[in-house]
Amino acid sequence: MGDLSGYKGGALRLLRDAGASIGDVIEIRTDFGTVTGTLVPRYLYGDGEHVVLKLKSGYNVGLGLSGLAKAKVLSKGEKPSFSPPASPRAAKGLPRVLILGTGGTIASRVDYRTGAVSPAVTAAELDSLVPELSEIAKVQPELLFEVFSENMTPQHWTRLAKRAAKAVGEKFDGVVITHGTDTLGYSAAALSFALAGIPIPVILVGSQRSSDRPSSDAPLNLVAAVTVAAEGSFSGVYVAMHLGESDDKVAFHGGTRVRKNHTSRRDAFSSIGVPLAAVFGRSGLEHVAEGLPARGGSFKPRPKFDGRVALLKFYPSMPGGLVRAARRSGVKAIVIEGTGLGHVSREVSSELGRFVKAGGLAFMTSQCINGRVDLSVYDTGRDLLHVGVQPLEDMLSETALVKAMWVLGTGASGSKARELMASNVAGEITARTFPG
Amino acid sequence: MRDKEGLLVGLEIHQQLAIPTKLFCACPPVKTDEFPYHFERRLRPSQSETGRLDPAAVFEYAKGRSNRYYWSPESACLVEADEEPPHPMSGAGLEAALLVGTVLGSQLVDEVHVMRKIVIDGSNTGGFQRTAVVGLGGSFEVNGGRVGVQSVTLEEDAARILGEDSESRHFALDRLGVALVEVSLDPVRGAPEHVGEVALHLGRLLRSTGRVARGLGTIRQDLNVSLAGGKVVEVKGVQKLNLLPRVVEYERKRQSMLIGVAEKLREKGIRKVSCRHRDVTSLLGASSSGVVRRAVSEGGVVHCIAADGLAGLLGWEPEPGVRLGKELAEVARANSLGGVIHSDEFERQGLTGAEAAALAGAMGADHECALILVAGRSEAVSRVVPLVEARAAEAPSGVPPETRAATDSGETRYMRPRPGSQRMYPETDIQDIEVGDEVRRRLEREAPLPWTESVERLQRAFTLSRDLALKVYDSETTGEFEALAARLGLEPSFIASVLVDLPARLEREGVPESAVGLGPLTASLEAVAAGKVAKEALPEVLKASAEKGVTVDQAIRSLGLGVVTEEYVSRVVREVVGRQTKLVAERGEDAFSPLMGEAMKELRGKADGSMVARLLRRELGLARSGEGSTGQNGG
Repeated sequence: MGDLSGYKGGALRLLRDAGASIGDVIEIRTDFGTVTGTLVPRYLYGDGEHVVLKLKSGYNVGLGLSGLAKAKVLSKGEKPSFSPPASPRAAKGLPRVLILGTGGTIASRVDYRTGAVSPAVTAAELDSLVPELSEIAKVQPELLFEVFSENMTPQHWTRLAKRAAKAVGEKFDGVVITHGTDTLGYSAAALSFALAGIPIPVILVGSQRSSDRPSSDAPLNLVAAVTVAAEGSFSGVYVAMHLGESDDKVAFHGGTRVRKNHTSRRDAFSSIGVPLAAVFGRSGLEHVAEGLPARGGSFKPRPKFDGRVALLKFYPSMPGGLVRAARRSGVKAIVIEGTGLGHVSREVSSELGRFVKAGGLAFMTSQCINGRVDLSVYDTGRDLLHVGVQPLEDMLSETALVKAMWVLGTGASGSKARELMASNVAGEITARTFPG
Repeated sequence: MRDKEGLLVGLEIHQQLAIPTKLFCACPPVKTDEFPYHFERRLRPSQSETGRLDPAAVFEYAKGRSNRYYWSPESACLVEADEEPPHPMSGAGLEAALLVGTVLGSQLVDEVHVMRKIVIDGSNTGGFQRTAVVGLGGSFEVNGGRVGVQSVTLEEDAARILGEDSESRHFALDRLGVALVEVSLDPVRGAPEHVGEVALHLGRLLRSTGRVARGLGTIRQDLNVSLAGGKVVEVKGVQKLNLLPRVVEYERKRQSMLIGVAEKLREKGIRKVSCRHRDVTSLLGASSSGVVRRAVSEGGVVHCIAADGLAGLLGWEPEPGVRLGKELAEVARANSLGGVIHSDEFERQGLTGAEAAALAGAMGADHECALILVAGRSEAVSRVVPLVEARAAEAPSGVPPETRAATDSGETRYMRPRPGSQRMYPETDIQDIEVGDEVRRRLEREAPLPWTESVERLQRAFTLSRDLALKVYDSETTGEFEALAARLGLEPSFIASVLVDLPARLEREGVPESAVGLGPLTASLEAVAAGKVAKEALPEVLKASAEKGVTVDQAIRSLGLGVVTEEYVSRVVREVVGRQTKLVAERGEDAFSPLMGEAMKELRGKADGSMVARLLRRELGLARSGEGSTGQNGG
């Protein structure tokens, strides 16, 4: 039987009886007359009562079973054969950049026949879609895994970190990681800790508009990321995304201080409490912040994470039971996102105290996003300090979560772990707070 | 001749729907004049599964221009800026399109699938237009003949172009996303005028649903025109109905010329036009030709293309205004380069014989070879020369498949190659929408009377001429007309002519039609009905009201047009007759017309013409028989 993906119920029976497969040109007789078109796949949650045809004009229409008498295959569909474009020009003397794919389709082709979108996986395909890349660097794409960014786990961070660390030994000038934007900030923080001190730039890049559309922000973000990976004067882990609505500038954000602050805009990512690391514009790198680590030096990756950490957001009336539940689920550390300077209710405060007493680690960040926690100003804060909750200065909650996983992953515990949490490993804590 | 040429015209009508929001967001469909925000984007062609790129998309991308978008929160949001996914499709928009499908007898689809149609000329921020077929097939009758419908489509309008320069195109986002229904018709054969009638008929049919927007710019026609032996040419954006026949006729003669060129080449045994080019700036540095001089003085370059076999064919003009040379210049102009001249017009363009000979020598051109000069900025010339060569090389194949734009004068000009079929894929941000039986049944109940019946009803009920009834129907004031006829007790045909003829007449006299709205027209009719002013004075009153910006009543007073008493009219009439006793004596009853003219000079606008005539007849009767003013015959 041919491929009839997505079809079920009566529609599946009608098509199966006709011997049809996706991509076949079929003719369907209806109450009104005959409709001819190419059979296209049905979406996962589509019902079993409609058959979807792509007309010669390119339009898809759904025809209901009730009016359908009969389906007939006119011609079997041919699988579209992709003629791979010519390989990129052999570019001598260009820097080498490793491009790691994680599942975000930063460059992709559209199957206009079925509507399917497939990612570019080889250097040749990538070059044909974003030809500028081969003028900047000799790129080597590698698909590490394919997951939606919301399904990313600490195990994925470990694999990414190990592969990027290996690239140093392989003499790559930089690494670019294409990544879905939803958890891009978490992964950037994870790599910042795991690869602290890495002598080359590691740039995470995503897009807010899918790469199958002509208006995608992916090509410009990718060009900027590859440029910095290839020839940026600094090292470390950064996120490259649009600076504004226009296709003219790309911002580079430090990996531990970046946050997705808009659901859909191209410039969704912001650096919190620190200036942008760099800005890429029409003329290349237009601005580089002072004090970024230079390329070079030796480093030892620490790519392990222990996922047994919870991030809880405090809210008025939050039951203390939630903290107990976290403890019972095996969590070894809790990052609690308090209100204002870092406050929670008395009930939650006492539960956190019990958690610490039982050997857990509790850390305080603020849901204000901007600014620094301070547990010395009000009694509530002093109580929290007293029960053993550790304030994390101006560390972002998401970064604190990832850092706690990393700290546990290094094998540290108790006061050693608290010490590591309080020290500035990868720019996650700043000493001074500035306006803006 | 036309039949022999096999002229086929497919019409696509795009009509704005009258719904309160845009199709995929809650922004109102209003025009904006001030734009506090702007941003800039570049679109690039996306690749298909087979590795192919759409020719139209590549053409636009090759221009290397960016797009600047201007917007205001008054008429656009992040959806138009392509910064937020589309909201669910407007239910009112879908219903309106389905109603149009119902009226046309189309087969409504059971599930509506929104598609993305790749358009990368910048007019859509996303690089595609959202569009969905809601109905297939159907037909309607025009003058006893049946016109087939191919499809009824619901789609979003494109951004409004504000202007362009060599670096960017500028667009306003107010129109982007406005809901349109597109009706595509089967190609019709025959005279260009017939196409105009079909469009007029379809426009009335759409308006009969009451769900489409009115006014200038709310309806737009695209045409697919072909001749036997040629390819289909798409002509976009015919705004005015009366231009349709002219555009069709222009395309007919243009395509006929192109087929003629191909035939001439075939007769000469030329199957392939090969081209070569070189930089001839130094050769023509001192030329007095305007085009060359302008380019050189601005630091630009001149390249010469030699096209074998085209000598004499670039300037060949079998019918006025169509030449192959013009086509080449249009390709350059579509790429913002104006400086193209060819050997058939060298002399007219100020090139000397010596210069032409030097060019021919430099290019190694024989007498069958045409020369084409492309002058301008170096970067633009390098980009355009291969495009002009490619167009010249297409000459042996006759009519190339192109997308052209209609001009205001009823001609067409080159825009880009025709898009391929590989440019449509599902809009995954919008869920498929089921069209249930309940909706169908309701739409069938709501389907309006055919417009022809509405017009006939107007004719019968108000004893209007067909012409006047049609005008009332087209002006979409049927409701107001009927109400006024019932309320004012004036002659319906008079009310109709005031509503539909007077504004146009005043416009010819320099009063903008928009200044004479339904409000002043109604007030003026009310004044006549109340006896405040005479019918004849209405043009003058409305003109004064529009020009001075005052109410109709104020205009009547300021013109001194208040209606006078019968007594006063009698006196004026008597005076006129008294002054012209000689004329009356000589011509008797025939003196009526000149005397009426003289009386009306004094009474126009103050007294009703029929009253003046009645009193004048009575007065003349008196004057002739000496019976005095007690005479009864009012004539």
